[in-house]
Amino acid sequence: MDNLINLSGREIAENIKNGELNDKEVYSFFKQRIKNSSRLNAFVEIYDEPIMGEGVSFLKGVPIAIKDNICIKGKKITCASKILATHTAVYDATVITRLKNAGLQIIGTANMDEFAFGSSTENSCYGPVKNPWDIERVPGGSSGGSAAAVAARLVPFALGSDTGGSIRQPAAFCGVVGFKPTYGRVSRYGLVAFGSSLDQIGPITTNFTDCAYLLNILCGFDEFDSTSAPLASEDFTQNLKEDIKGLKIGIPPEYFGKGLAPEVKAALTEMMELFKKNGAEFIDINLPHTEYAVATYYIIGSSEASSNLQRFDGIKYGLREPAANLKDVYVKTRGKGFGEEAKRRIFLGTYSLSSGYYDAYYVRALKVRNLIKKDFDEAFKKVDMILTPTSPTAAFKFGEKTTDPLSMYLSDIYTISVNLAGLPAVSFPCGFTKNNLPIGAQLIGKDFSENSLIKAGFSYQCWTDFHKRIPDLK
Amino acid sequence: MQEFDTVIGLEVHVQLNTESKIFCSCSTRFDNPANSNICPVCCGYPGVLPVFNKKALELAIRVALALGCKINKQIYFERKNYFYPDLPKNYQISQYKMPLGEKGSLKLPSGETIGITRVHLEEDAGKLIHKENYSLVDLNRTGTPLLEIVSEPDMVSPEEAFDYLTYLKLTLQYINASECNMERGSLRCDANISLKEKGAAKLGTKVELKNMNTFRGVRDALSHEEKRQAKVLVSGEKIFQETRLWDAKHQITEVMRTKEEAHDYRYFPEPDLLDFVVTDSAVNNEKKYIGELPLDKRERFLKEYKLPVTETDVIISERFLSSFFEEACKEFNEPKKICNLLLGPFLEQVNTFEEKFKAVKISAVNFAKIARYFSEGKINNLGVKKVLSLCIVTNSNVDEIIAKEGLLQVSGKEELDKFAKEAIAENPKVVKEYLGGKVQAIMFLVGTVMKKTKGKANPRVVKELLEKALKK
Repeated sequence: MDNLINLSGREIAENIKNGELNDKEVYSFFKQRIKNSSRLNAFVEIYDEPIMGEGVSFLKGVPIAIKDNICIKGKKITCASKILATHTAVYDATVITRLKNAGLQIIGTANMDEFAFGSSTENSCYGPVKNPWDIERVPGGSSGGSAAAVAARLVPFALGSDTGGSIRQPAAFCGVVGFKPTYGRVSRYGLVAFGSSLDQIGPITTNFTDCAYLLNILCGFDEFDSTSAPLASEDFTQNLKEDIKGLKIGIPPEYFGKGLAPEVKAALTEMMELFKKNGAEFIDINLPHTEYAVATYYIIGSSEASSNLQRFDGIKYGLREPAANLKDVYVKTRGKGFGEEAKRRIFLGTYSLSSGYYDAYYVRALKVRNLIKKDFDEAFKKVDMILTPTSPTAAFKFGEKTTDPLSMYLSDIYTISVNLAGLPAVSFPCGFTKNNLPIGAQLIGKDFSENSLIKAGFSYQCWTDFHKRIPDLK
Repeated sequence: MQEFDTVIGLEVHVQLNTESKIFCSCSTRFDNPANSNICPVCCGYPGVLPVFNKKALELAIRVALALGCKINKQIYFERKNYFYPDLPKNYQISQYKMPLGEKGSLKLPSGETIGITRVHLEEDAGKLIHKENYSLVDLNRTGTPLLEIVSEPDMVSPEEAFDYLTYLKLTLQYINASECNMERGSLRCDANISLKEKGAAKLGTKVELKNMNTFRGVRDALSHEEKRQAKVLVSGEKIFQETRLWDAKHQITEVMRTKEEAHDYRYFPEPDLLDFVVTDSAVNNEKKYIGELPLDKRERFLKEYKLPVTETDVIISERFLSSFFEEACKEFNEPKKICNLLLGPFLEQVNTFEEKFKAVKISAVNFAKIARYFSEGKINNLGVKKVLSLCIVTNSNVDEIIAKEGLLQVSGKEELDKFAKEAIAENPKVVKEYLGGKVQAIMFLVGTVMKKTKGKANPRVVKELLEKALKK
């Protein structure tokens, strides 16, 4: 059974299908593994029995963890916030319905930064998640529980959500494949909203094969999400081929400058050599508005978040602090229920949307957002995809950035523009530091070009074995 | 004494006649038990998303067209942010910068035209039920499609505001866009009123009035506020920009909030919904549903049917009545007689039905037949009432009912003469009074004959016979 951690999700499913394994054994194995690794704090809740539908797919029987901001009917959904700590979802998110219809076994909910606000999972009301490669370091965030769980092979798959890098940055810090699909590819129905125009649900896996199979299940038009793209479904597994000849990859100097750790840069340089050797061509491109991305993102994301989080008011569900009058119910409930970072974003967003500031902040941010999107449009006239580091550094230590929110925000500097532009992007391991910490590379594609990203990533994993390394949990 | 011009603008909210809510598929029914027409979406549960009900857009386009608005082709929703327990998301999905319709107008019978600034779509909030030391929330109404219709400050008197409301309501009812029932909350109205020195161009400080529950309430609140403001200004004091609540019981207005307490709604485009395009075909399609509007109909009726204004206004005041009337006139071209029957016995019965006109099944053809029979003397007043009561909700065959119920009026003099003589013989005291000069006493004898004939006698003929018999 111990060999299970060396199998891909797809291989586990195949073994279940041909009778080598049965789904109950598989479930028990991973459940036990999660329990044994409780010090990682990757999970909020572990289900005794799997949540599982009747459906069949190429991934039937594979356990999957769900970030605790996606609704599973009848199960607690807390967003790692005190304000929702008692809330039970009354309906299934569309992605959960799809997983049930595909016969996966939902094993529990993954820890995260409160309401997905953060880059280190230090903002969880359940305490931080530990990086399985070095438990003194953060796993990244906000989908830190999902990435740590997959990296430590506590579960073959996890779902995360990505608003400014929340799938990709923890995937980079934990050495796994984290895919953020094109905005509109995966239904957001049932994902507790942070930045509605930026949020996307995506898969976290150890390899691109699993990623493609999982995307097949997750992607597709949903009538319950008006921002869902009305496209015919695609088979992403068609592109699990080693073939990158003639691929044109853009390199933006803006992403390789000041602040980038030498070890990360070196890993990417090596990676480029491999790609070149196999027939890819690298072209310099410019993304001149990159320097404004962080500011733009924090205005738009926080503005939307401030409005989205207004519903947590102590009236209908979740925490309610008793008070003498209505205003105090709001003030006390929200004062107690929200953590520091959530409050910071609410203040920031409320301020940006206030009359007198709206034009200077929100409206201007929308304009810059368009410019950032145009930068990418221009670049994609010349190249098929863009290669960047996922984060300027490998995983940092706990507390290193909590006192300086701005330095924390800058750890997402390479991932944020992608959400502003709505593009698909994936982070995957491309090396290790000398301290044995994973380094992540990011490929950014054109709208709805998930297929090309999968092909490039799959090819890379055919030449390397970084994705096969497993952290030692002892 | 200083003189003032009154300046009034109205902000009207109407619920659109859709089966389901604007952003989810819950029913919009009015009278279901509290919190029965709700789902995660309209309750604002974590993770839900709105899906726009296109039927609401269709009706909104129809209203915008009927009010002569310019229709914006590319529109989007925005979020209006404020905390209140009847608003589960603590923001309302509404339209702000780009309303569906702009720059329309509504003509009034007086000949005046009131400008319509904008018409925009939004979702309704729920209801709070206040108890002694707590409040309950009913979210049934949450998410009902609302249309906000904002007028220009073109009205010069509370009476004109009343007329505007009357014709706005009629217009919306005629095009089947809204029930516009203020008691049921499907029409709500807030008013802005200010006074300025007579003839001056500069507007005075406006006050917003809320909490009016009837059209009359709007008129009364405006009248009261008009007087209050005049008094304040005459005394040399200032009007403060504020919101005041109408207290219908005490007929006064009271301050609800001042300008300083006004909300900052932090509007921004609703990211959960895409921009959408109002196509020409969608607009053209709605044109089909806009027939003759009430004011045009009123003018035509006055010309064609030549009925008095009061009666015409009553007929126009209900779309059902106006078309029923017109159809009936086609069958029996005696508008005055149709009108009398319609506004008399017919309305009397309709008013006893809970569902009002919706309960009416009788065809205009059958109705015209009753009017004709009455006019021809075939049935009398009582007969009309009887046959109408038996046909109005069934549309049964009028002739069969008259025959079955024996309602044919007895006008035969020989037949009636016998009853007349009996009545005279049985009531010597009354006869004596009549002959003594009390002319009205004969009506008692007419009544006696009516009783004897079980109401079937033609009272006019009976009276003639009695007069003749008593002259001898």
